[in-house]
Amino acid sequence: MTATRFIGILRKYEKWFGIVALILISAGLYTGLVTSSADYFQGEVVRIMYVHVPFAQTAMLAYSTLFFCSIWYLWKRDAIVDNACHAAAGLALFFTAGGLITGAIWGKPTWNAWWVWDPRLTSFAIMFLTLVGYLMLRTFLDDVEKRATFAAILAIIGFIDLPIIHFSVEWWRSLHQPLSVSTRGVSIAPDMLVPFALMSFGVGILFTYMLMVRTQLLYLEHLLEAKQGRFLSEAEL
Amino acid sequence: MHFFRLIRWIAWKDLLSEYRNRENVSSMFFFALNVILIFSFSFSLDPDTIKEIMPGIIWVAFGFTAIIGLGKSFLIEVNNDCMEYFQTLPGPKGAIYLGKFLGNFLFMLMVEIILFPLFVLFFNLSILDQALPLLLVSSVATFGLSALGTLFSALTVQIRAREVMFPILLLPLSVPIFIGAVEATRGALSGDPFSMYSHWIELLTVFDVIFVVVSFWIFEFILDY
Repeated sequence: MTATRFIGILRKYEKWFGIVALILISAGLYTGLVTSSADYFQGEVVRIMYVHVPFAQTAMLAYSTLFFCSIWYLWKRDAIVDNACHAAAGLALFFTAGGLITGAIWGKPTWNAWWVWDPRLTSFAIMFLTLVGYLMLRTFLDDVEKRATFAAILAIIGFIDLPIIHFSVEWWRSLHQPLSVSTRGVSIAPDMLVPFALMSFGVGILFTYMLMVRTQLLYLEHLLEAKQGRFLSEAEL
Repeated sequence: MHFFRLIRWIAWKDLLSEYRNRENVSSMFFFALNVILIFSFSFSLDPDTIKEIMPGIIWVAFGFTAIIGLGKSFLIEVNNDCMEYFQTLPGPKGAIYLGKFLGNFLFMLMVEIILFPLFVLFFNLSILDQALPLLLVSSVATFGLSALGTLFSALTVQIRAREVMFPILLLPLSVPIFIGAVEATRGALSGDPFSMYSHWIELLTVFDVIFVVVSFWIFEFILDY
């Protein structure tokens, strides 16, 4: 598929993703902050979870997108796929930072500490550092193809390492509460599950929308850079 | 060229050039010595505290040494214009990675084996009974660190600010190695039965296998540029 056709598809459908994300997040925030009841143990603090958990889930979704786009890039060498990788990495960093900050705000009243060295927190902190390294690596490389290839390699290595990091920190120490929704079933009150589900899908779709817009923006920047480069080389001649 | 012969020649080339100029091993060794010295000033060193913090000191020293040594692994090839020869070498590119990795692993292990008696000397440790488990832990952890370090050395050697980027990329991803190595070293130094810390060695082995295989596969993409 050519980049122009791909951009055309993105432009055609992006607004629908934006609208659905807006509706779901508005409904999620309303049910989460207004209609749902406070938690028996955690009280009103539990409401931060309606933002924290979707952010953390979407960070994982963004990192998975980065991983699959990186493999796709190494396979097909499409410039626009590299733009999607760059966009996914920036968004993964944004959602990881959001997850860490909201987690710290929730942790202070619940665990009486802003930060604890718990497996999931530590894994997320390491993911944050890896993403910062990824974006730094991109800024230090001028050659477009070399930048895309090296960044893809780093993303793949980082993604493969993530479960091992999580596993090693889990063995090292564990404090986090068990997952509320897992393959073993749901252990959460129904009036809390509704805002959770709305927010999770809403933020996930918001990420898709942001990815579509940001990929186009980066592709245009890439085209502009290429044109400027051509004009400059013509001027030098 | 035959696959294993290529690995052997590249590792042999690195070892021979190191034997002739002793640049890498000596800089790694003296750097680690400085780190040990700084640590000895930084903590109160009564016997109980030493037992608690010693594994951490050992692996922070080894980690910094790895940054100094592994970071330079491919720099010598760039300085001597050898990367082009690697790129045009008729044979599997992964073998170049395995050769460089083998050389780095042996350098690192050599420095660690020289450093252990110094830890005994400066911190009054008794490790003779535990020498074999400690050697095993060091070997398994150094194997993983060299695997990842060699790959990132090849990746960062071609970019600006390589001295900064190498540790920034290597350290977060080698967290499992440091956790596993520190915990297993703690077990070995305390004289615990092997079964109490063998799970850490298993974790390190899994890390080693995964990253040697993945790096071997991915190295070709780095060398293409």
